[in-house]
Formats: sequence, structure tokens, C-alpha cells
Amino acid sequence: MVALLEVDQLNVSMRSEAGRLVPVIENLSFAVAPAQTLALVGESGCGKSMTALALMGLLPEDFVITSGRILLEGRDILSLPARDMRALRGSAMSMIFQEPMTALNPLFTVGDQIGEVLRWHRGLGGAAAREQVLALLRAVQIPAPERRIDAYPHQLSGGMRQRVMIAMALAGKPKLLIADEPTTALDVTVQAQIFDLLAQLQRETGTAILLITHDLGAVGELANEILVLYAGRCIEAGASAGIVAQPRHPYTRGLLRCVAHLQLGQAPKSWTDLGEIPGMVPPLGARGAECAFLARCAKAADVCRSNPQPILEPIAAGHAVSCWCKAAVAA
Amino acid sequence: MTTLEAPTLTIVSAIDMPARRATSPAGIAMRQFLKSPSGVVGLCLLALIIVGTLVGPHLYRVDPLDLVGAPFMPPDSDAWLGTDYLGRDVLAGLIYGGRATLAVGAVAALITIAIGLLIGSLSGFFGGVVDVVLVKITEFFQILPPLLFAMVLVTLFGSKLSTITVAIGAVSWTSAARLTRAEFMRLRDLDFVKASRAAGASDRHLMLRVLLPNALPAVIVSATLAIGVAILFEGGLSFLGLGDPNVMSWGLMLGQNRNYILDAWWAVIFPGMAIFLAVLAISLVGDGLNDAINPRLRRRS
Amino acid sequence: MALAIHLTRQIANAAALLLAVLVLNFCLIHLAPGDPVQVIAGEMGGASADVIAALRTKYGLDHSLMEQLAIYLRNVVTGDFGYSYYFNEPVLGLVLQRLPATLYLTSCALVSALVVGTFLGVVSARRPNGLFSHTVTVFSLAGYAAPIFWTGLMLLLLFGSVWPILPVVGMSDVVHRKQGLNYVLDVAQHLLLPSLTLALVFIAQYSRLARVNMIDALSADYVRTARAKGLPEWVVIGKHALRNTLIPTVTVAGHQFGNLFAGAVLVETVFSWPGMGRLVFDSILRRDYPTLMAVLFFSALMVMAANFLTDIVYRLIDPRIRMGQR
Repeated sequence: MVALLEVDQLNVSMRSEAGRLVPVIENLSFAVAPAQTLALVGESGCGKSMTALALMGLLPEDFVITSGRILLEGRDILSLPARDMRALRGSAMSMIFQEPMTALNPLFTVGDQIGEVLRWHRGLGGAAAREQVLALLRAVQIPAPERRIDAYPHQLSGGMRQRVMIAMALAGKPKLLIADEPTTALDVTVQAQIFDLLAQLQRETGTAILLITHDLGAVGELANEILVLYAGRCIEAGASAGIVAQPRHPYTRGLLRCVAHLQLGQAPKSWTDLGEIPGMVPPLGARGAECAFLARCAKAADVCRSNPQPILEPIAAGHAVSCWCKAAVAA
Repeated sequence: MTTLEAPTLTIVSAIDMPARRATSPAGIAMRQFLKSPSGVVGLCLLALIIVGTLVGPHLYRVDPLDLVGAPFMPPDSDAWLGTDYLGRDVLAGLIYGGRATLAVGAVAALITIAIGLLIGSLSGFFGGVVDVVLVKITEFFQILPPLLFAMVLVTLFGSKLSTITVAIGAVSWTSAARLTRAEFMRLRDLDFVKASRAAGASDRHLMLRVLLPNALPAVIVSATLAIGVAILFEGGLSFLGLGDPNVMSWGLMLGQNRNYILDAWWAVIFPGMAIFLAVLAISLVGDGLNDAINPRLRRRS
Repeated sequence: MALAIHLTRQIANAAALLLAVLVLNFCLIHLAPGDPVQVIAGEMGGASADVIAALRTKYGLDHSLMEQLAIYLRNVVTGDFGYSYYFNEPVLGLVLQRLPATLYLTSCALVSALVVGTFLGVVSARRPNGLFSHTVTVFSLAGYAAPIFWTGLMLLLLFGSVWPILPVVGMSDVVHRKQGLNYVLDVAQHLLLPSLTLALVFIAQYSRLARVNMIDALSADYVRTARAKGLPEWVVIGKHALRNTLIPTVTVAGHQFGNLFAGAVLVETVFSWPGMGRLVFDSILRRDYPTLMAVLFFSALMVMAANFLTDIVYRLIDPRIRMGQR
């Protein structure tokens, strides 16, 4: 299958105040096929959102892509001039954000904000645009869209706002939809609804989805493939069923155990302390060549300490892991 | 630099911080302040002006009200900066006038802050009816244009320096009151205040020992800026002929000489420049303090 | 419905505040040193014994203070703000006659300050550490610190003597009276320097305010969303970020109308602009208290009108306030 999106050896760094380049994302490679969903999983601070912003060409000013390629339908978008890149955003690829409250402009109606995409990417205006906005609001299952279209964001509930964000992202008929923690800010029941909606819309429109989340439990059903990111490095990747059933990297296993605990109703003490995984993601600049998970790993052995982090190595069909102890872990 | 550090060190004692100045909030703020280039430039400029008005009279022994020569003598004659429309020495006027102008500014700012603190803290601390009444009073003073109100007061009660000072202080306290009220209301609901209250602290203790020290940083910035505003007000009043004719001040020089600007520009430009530099120095210091105290703004700059 | 209640409350509040201004005026007259009748007549020594006696009767100065207050308020309600013995005219007519000139000057200065200040702030926020941004910051500091009457005098000196290309005195050419469009152009020319002087202070403040708020807005999530939608940069800035930037500026501009008016007093004095400010200067000089008091009253009225307008603009910009959510 031809990949819709191909990320090849992407490296992103942050320019520190002293002018030093601090690696944020290291040698990240992955691909997303049309109508498929890839989940990017990891804790906060692992570089998930930065990956998404790098794809969109929206990295903050002090972040730079130092090397690598991003191909969208075979076209290297990193070499595109700003004007062409802007034309891609919102049409070929679009993005929904974590906080639907702040991601929508409080001063304009939702109809206006969705309509903008239609005007700038599809040249629609007036009644035709309004008709289309209503259709989009219906598609994201907002009740009474004729009334909601003229509502302001503060008049809608959190779930409703996220539906508006999704409608806005779909307005340009994107081939790739990047969803950055789309449900984190929402109630649990609403979370499931939003995931269902995304799955349904994917079936209807055939858009590919890059789903960014820290919740490995939630992605099992939606995602075809999973990529686990730790401290800016891919440590395990493969088909979603395989990873959920047989996680190989100690970090992935830890993430899954957290989910199990959550489902049993045992909340972790805090989000930084995942219960099963002591400690925190090493901060930027404090990451050496050795396995970044070393300090938190219960299975750490001498081989981990004396060698740099191993490259991603296939261990089964469509399943690769970067761990010195993968054999021991599997056992 | 020791003279320059003096004002910041008084803050330390004012908010009753422990003596370990390296780790106290005021100590941190001071080091932060010294890092801000605009604040340091302002402080140096202000120190220069203050020293000039303090030491100047001993070096340049000319009475500012004496007629030392012919009117409209240009600079570089016997009088360094020329003479005004009556033949008074402009440089002497600048040196002595600075004393009055800076004193009016400082005292008026003190009055402003005192009234603002009193009204704002009572309003923010007690809330309810007290707040409603005090907010109404503040609102009332807000609809009177401050400078115009001060003009009316000085016209009615006479152009004495003390009257002018009180008038300026009495009309410009509303923003200080609003600021203090907002700070007190914000602090009132914080956990450590609730804890003090639960521990049985009296209202007096809460206001003076718990809330006031925490509200003070914001008030200090506003007080600094109030000095600048008061100096501009003094200038404005004198410009309209409401200055105290018996005390030389920068505003008075401007006001009395402005009609002769085409004959003797130096008698107008120099005092205006002096006011400009003083207010500039003060607002630079205010900016530096603001950056040092308010981390949110620090990040922006 | 909510709007109707809001409006009613605002009007009631305004009426109460205006009444308070009148009471303040009354108190000031009685607190001032000297005989109130001298205050009312003005300390010009021109008032004859007959006039003094007539004034005593008119203001009921032999009655109790409360009765005098009632008489004063009744006079004001019927439009009688007293008589100016210096101008030899009822004060009300005097003030109303000067009002338009002041309104031209203040509105012209306010609008240009808002437009120019916001523009400078927005442009400098694009590169907060660039040369332009630093220039704007320095200009804004200088503009704030320069006494407005001094700036005016400097411009007067520059354009009146060094480089005389603009009129520096009055509102129109009194020697060669112009008609129709030429008159309008003539007034506009005369308006240029005074409104520039008045605007400079506020340009300084608004550019600073707009810069800070624009920098904030540019890092807001909704701006990132607008960019992610692929909108052209000018739409991102000019629509999404600008509208949010305007809210604090509008608030400050509204609260500062009193300062704008006071600034106009000084500017009008410098450039002999025939507005209320010039009237204030003359009445201070002549100790014409009734006029001064009336100007104080009308300036308070103008400040309240400005607050009212601000409230409306605020509601137009921000739907959250319009709908009573905040």
C-alpha cells in the first residue's frame, strides 16, 4: 500500500537560550496509509505534540527541524515555500487540539470559524458556505445545528466544542487528520463518543488519522498501528493488536498496566507518576545516548548502561522494538 | 552603587521579610531588577537628578528668584543657560526648582497611595456593603477628570505649594484604590489566608500582616508611577498659572515663560526637558520594578 | 430584556453620579475661603452692591445650607448654571458654545491615537526583539514622559517659527475667512497640530498596550488553530488576534477619557483652540468660579458618556459580555 504520509528520520531540536541545539525528537520514522489510523503514544513531554506541529509546519519559533523528510503523498513538504505549506494546512491535512475551550476564538461564532476554512480553501461564501457548515455540524452529530451555527464557543459544552473543532478540521476535506489528545479535556463518557465519532467519520470520508494520546487503553480499538514514543525516540512500533497483546518494551508494558489499573478503578497517584513506572520523563537536554528509559526501568541490565540505545529491531511481522532486553522481557 | 540600592532595601524592611536577603522575595526581586537594563538606566538617571538638586545649590550659588541680569539673555552669556523674562537665572531655576518639583511629586504620590491603600484594602477585605459604598465613591472620583479637578481645587483654595500637593494627591488615588482592592480580593481567597483566618487571626492582623505585605509589590510599582504622574500634574497646574509664585519649580518656569517662547526658547525648553527626564527616569524604574516583581510580564519582555 | 435592565441601571447610576457632582460643586463653593457670594460673583471686584444683593436673594444665601442646596439644584435642573460676570453671559450658553471645538479635538486625537497606537503595537509584536519593536518601546516611554504642554510648545516653536508651514493659533483663519469646503479644510489644518500633540501621549500608551496584548494573543491557542486552518497570515493577525487585542485597549481608552479631556485643556491653552479647555484657562485666570464649576460638571458628563460608549463598543467586540456571561 502506498503511504499517504511518510516521516523519514525526522530530527527536531530546541534552540536553548545559549544558542545550543537540544534534541527533542530523534530519528523518528513512520508512515500512515490512507484511511488508516496510527496512534502516537507516550507520556507528556515525549515529543508527541511537537511531532504533530512539525508535520503541520507550525513549530514554535525556537524549535527547528534539523534533518529528515516529511512526505505527504510523495511530496516533500519541508521544502515547500510558506505559501504552498499554508495551502496544505486545513485542506490536505488538518489538526484538532487538546483544549477545545481555548482552541476556538471566543469572539467569533462557530459558523464563522468553520466557514473560514470553506472560504479560504474551497472558495465558498454566503448561502453555499452556510449550507455546507450546517452539513458539517450535522456530520459531527451536533443537535439543532441551525441554532448552534450562530452560537459562540462559550455557549457550548466541552464535548460540543470538540465536535465543532472536528467539523472545522473536516471542512477542508483533509486526507490526513491529526488529532492531538482530542479527548483529554473531556469527561469520560464524552471521550468515548468522540472516539466513536472519529471512527465513523473515518469510515465515511476515508481520511487517515494520526492520533496522539497518552492513553494506550483508548487507542486499541481505533488505531490500526501504534507507535510508542519515549523522550523523543520511538521505542516500540507495530500493529495495534500485537502491541496491546504482547508489549515488548518495559515502558509499553508499564503504560498498559496503568490502563489496566485505571480500568479497575485504581487511579494512579498522579499523572507524572504512572504508578507502575516510577520517575518522570527525562527533561530536554538531560538525555544521553543510552536508553532514555534506563533510569526508570526495572529490567535495566549492564548491557543497557554500557551501550547506546539500540536501533528499532523487528521481532515479529509488523512489530519492532528498541530494547536490549527484549528477549528477557518477552519471556 | 550603594546609594542606588537604598530604595530597594527599604522595600525589604517594609514588607517585613527575613534578613536573609539573598533568598527573600525582595532580594530576588532586587537582583532581577538590576538585571533589567531599563530599570538600571532609570535608577542612574534618577539618582543623577536627585544628587543634582541636592548638591547643585552648593556649587552654583545663585538665588533662582534673584534678577541677575537683563531679561532674555541667551545661554552662554553670564548665566550659563540664559535668563528668563524677568532676568532670573535659568540654571539656578532648574537646580532649585527640581527640589520643589520632586518633593511635590513624592509627597503627592504618598498621599495618593495612602488614600488608595486605605480605600482599596477596606473595600477588598470586607466586601459586602463596605465594598459597595467605597466602590461608588471611587467611581465618583473616576468620572471627574483628575487634572481638571485639581485645577478647580487649587483655584478655589489658593496656589500654595502645600495646597497643590494635597490637591494632586486627593484627585489621583482611584487607580491605586482599584489595584489594591483587586489584589486584596485575589489574596483573600488564597489558601494561606484562609488558613490564617481559620487559625483565629484578627482582621487587623490579616490586613496588615498577611494581605498587605503580599499586595505591596504591585502597590510599589503603582506608587513609583504615581510620582511621575504627580510631577506632570504639577507642571500642568503651573503651566495654567496655578503654580506657587513664591517657590521656584520646573512647572512654574514653564508656565511663566511660555508666552515668551519666541523670545527666549531656553527658558521653556530646559525646564520641560528636566520634567521629561525626571518622569522618564521614574517610569523606567517603575518598568524595571514591574519586570522584577511580576514574573508574567518578565517572561514577555 | 437583560439589556433593558442593564440600561435602566446604567442611567440611574449616571443620574446619581451627576447629582453627586453637583453636590460636590455646591460644597466646594461653601468650603472655599471667603464669602460664597464673592465666589459666585467671581473675585474680580467688578460686582456692584446691587448685584451682590441680587445674588444673595437668588441663591438664598440667608437660608440654611440644605435650602441653599435645594435652590442650587433647582437652578441647575432648569438649565441655570449661573452667570459669568467676566464673559457677561450665562454659563450654560458659554459652555455649550465651546463644547463642539473640544469634541472635534478630543475625538480626532482619540481616533488617531487608537489607530496609530494599535498599528504600532501590532507591528512591533510581530518581532518583539526587532529594531522596530525597540524603537516603538523607546518612543512610547518618551511619549509618556514628555509633558503634553511642553510637546505642544515644541511643536509650536517648530511650526510657528523655525518652519512655518502649519497654522499654530486658533481654529480657523480669522483674517481670510473661508467658505464651504475651504473652511472645513482650513479647520482641519488648524486641528492638525493640537490633535497631534494630544494624540502623542495616548499613541505612546496604546502602542505599548497593543504590543503586550498582541504578543499574548499570538501565543494563544486560537491563533494556532487559525494557522492550522491554513488562513493567510493577515487574516490570522488582522481578524483573530487583533480583535482579542482590542478589548484591553478599548477598556483603557474608555477609562482615560478624563485624562484626554484634561490633556485637551492644556493643548487648547497652548494653541489657543477655542474649546472648553481654553475656557477653563480663562476662568482660572479671572477666578470665574461659576464657569469653572460648570465645566467640571460637563466634563464629568462627558466622561460618563464616554464610559457608556465604551460599554457599547465592548459589547460589540466581546459576545461573552454581550450575553452576560462575564
